Amino acid sequence: MSLMKNQANPWLTSNLLVLGLGMLPALLLIGVLLYFTAWAFAFSFTDLALVGRKSVEWSWVGLQNFERLFTRRGFLESLWTTVIFVFFSAIVGQSVLGFLLAALLRGTQSTIRTVVEVCIMLGWLLPDIVAAFLWSATTSQTGLVNSLIIVPLGFPPVNFINDYALPVVTIANIWKGTAWSYLLFSAALDSVSREVVEAAKVDGATPFQRIWLVMLPIIRPHIATNMLFITIWTFTYFPLIFAMTGGGPGTQTQTLAVFLYNQSFSRGNLGFGSAISVAMLVIVGLLSLVYLRMLREPK
Amino acid sequence: MEANPAHSRLTAIALAFMAVIWVSPFSWLFLNAFNPAATGSLAIPQSIGLDNFAQAVSGNAGRQFLNSMLIAAGTATLSVVVGIAAAYPLSRLKIPGRNAFLWTLVLLRMLPSAGVLVPLYFAAQRGGLLNQFGVIVALTILNLPFTLLLLKNFFDTVPIELEEAAYVEGASLFQIVTRIVLPMSRAGIAVVWFFSFTGAWNEFLLPLIFSRVEAGFPMSVGLYAAFGQQGSVQYGFLAAYSIIYAAPAVGVYFLLRRNMNTGFAGVGVKG
Repeated sequence: MSLMKNQANPWLTSNLLVLGLGMLPALLLIGVLLYFTAWAFAFSFTDLALVGRKSVEWSWVGLQNFERLFTRRGFLESLWTTVIFVFFSAIVGQSVLGFLLAALLRGTQSTIRTVVEVCIMLGWLLPDIVAAFLWSATTSQTGLVNSLIIVPLGFPPVNFINDYALPVVTIANIWKGTAWSYLLFSAALDSVSREVVEAAKVDGATPFQRIWLVMLPIIRPHIATNMLFITIWTFTYFPLIFAMTGGGPGTQTQTLAVFLYNQSFSRGNLGFGSAISVAMLVIVGLLSLVYLRMLREPK
Repeated sequence: MEANPAHSRLTAIALAFMAVIWVSPFSWLFLNAFNPAATGSLAIPQSIGLDNFAQAVSGNAGRQFLNSMLIAAGTATLSVVVGIAAAYPLSRLKIPGRNAFLWTLVLLRMLPSAGVLVPLYFAAQRGGLLNQFGVIVALTILNLPFTLLLLKNFFDTVPIELEEAAYVEGASLFQIVTRIVLPMSRAGIAVVWFFSFTGAWNEFLLPLIFSRVEAGFPMSVGLYAAFGQQGSVQYGFLAAYSIIYAAPAVGVYFLLRRNMNTGFAGVGVKG
């Protein structure tokens, strides 16, 4: 069968060598990526360091790095910080807000829709580091929030990044990422047939009931897809948090990605850093498998 | 929804309120960027000037803009060229193990780039590639699973009958690809190129690790280094720098807005 298809396309079959040569660079680079992934696993069993003697004369240390993950302070705290960050910024913030906006703006072709859309898109389009600078400045002691809200109300200026670091980066990430969920839910809601919603309306369903009992169940697969996408992305998201707080104050905003960077490139523990990345790969790999299963199911 | 007027007016007000909150940080940004005497606080400028912008395109700042351009354009072009050469055979030939390979790409696309950071850095250090060229190669490697999948999906939509017709007319493989396949998937290729461009333009972690000197920073690292310094922050300069840095990413989106749906359709991965 497969041979027959190829025979039907003689310009392909007579040029297999050329086509093969064309694929070579891509295969090579994919091979390198797989090779690096394998090395990340290998490095995690060594005491490789960024500088000094251990950067050349490293040795195998068995499971020592993985023991450190669970016995020393750092990894489990960072995992917890990451879970909190993902839960509040992605799952609660971005998807709930994105869904509400999509439901409220659904079907309308008003200027309001365009304006709101462009506004939330701007946050999404902005480079990560610009968003980080913008939010650092906005929440600084002389920044927008203090000079427009806190000080006029008669309170002394609040140093938000020092005192409320995790809420600040969480809100910044909601601001930045909601557009994605909005776009996905918008497309999903557009696919809900008007007749179904109209029928519910004729039967006397309130707007809230129409959303909760009619639309939500229909777009359930989209909700699941969105959840897993944003969970995976937010789980490994680095630039915004790192640029705003560097993981601090203390380790309050040290998510796994920041922890990995700090251990590998600030402290130079490349072996231990590799163990952290292996742990992240395993977690994200499991999440991806769940996602792939859900993609396959509808067929 | 066509509810009663009072309800919809309330909704409109709530939405407008939200839009205002959402863009308020930008008002701050613009007020500071055009204010030669900006202090970082929210104030109407006494005088409006472009001094900050002039500063943000000269010296090291200007060089960082060029670095970002080089890295982003280089990564996007390399990814697309390597991607096209492999995606066309992947789309047309029933290569044994093709599905397994495509699923591998899907998995690789989902793995966090942080996972291969240490080996990537180590290899670049050994190969003397801790520079912009190294960033381009590294980003291309990390980009490729995504680029390949997208391009393959676009090539799948080109009707093979057209290629057959061209072959009957005596066209060679090269002619078929350059005269039929590429022009017909032009919009898709453009979207992939711009996705890769904005992705690399935005990239922070790799250049942070790979760039050794300030003159070699792309804008992401340049901006981080400038506002990360404690003490006197030059808000006016940084605001203008941010606007220049953000402009291409935002501009590209509005240019390609109509084509983006195609792009999003391609993101949903099919095996």
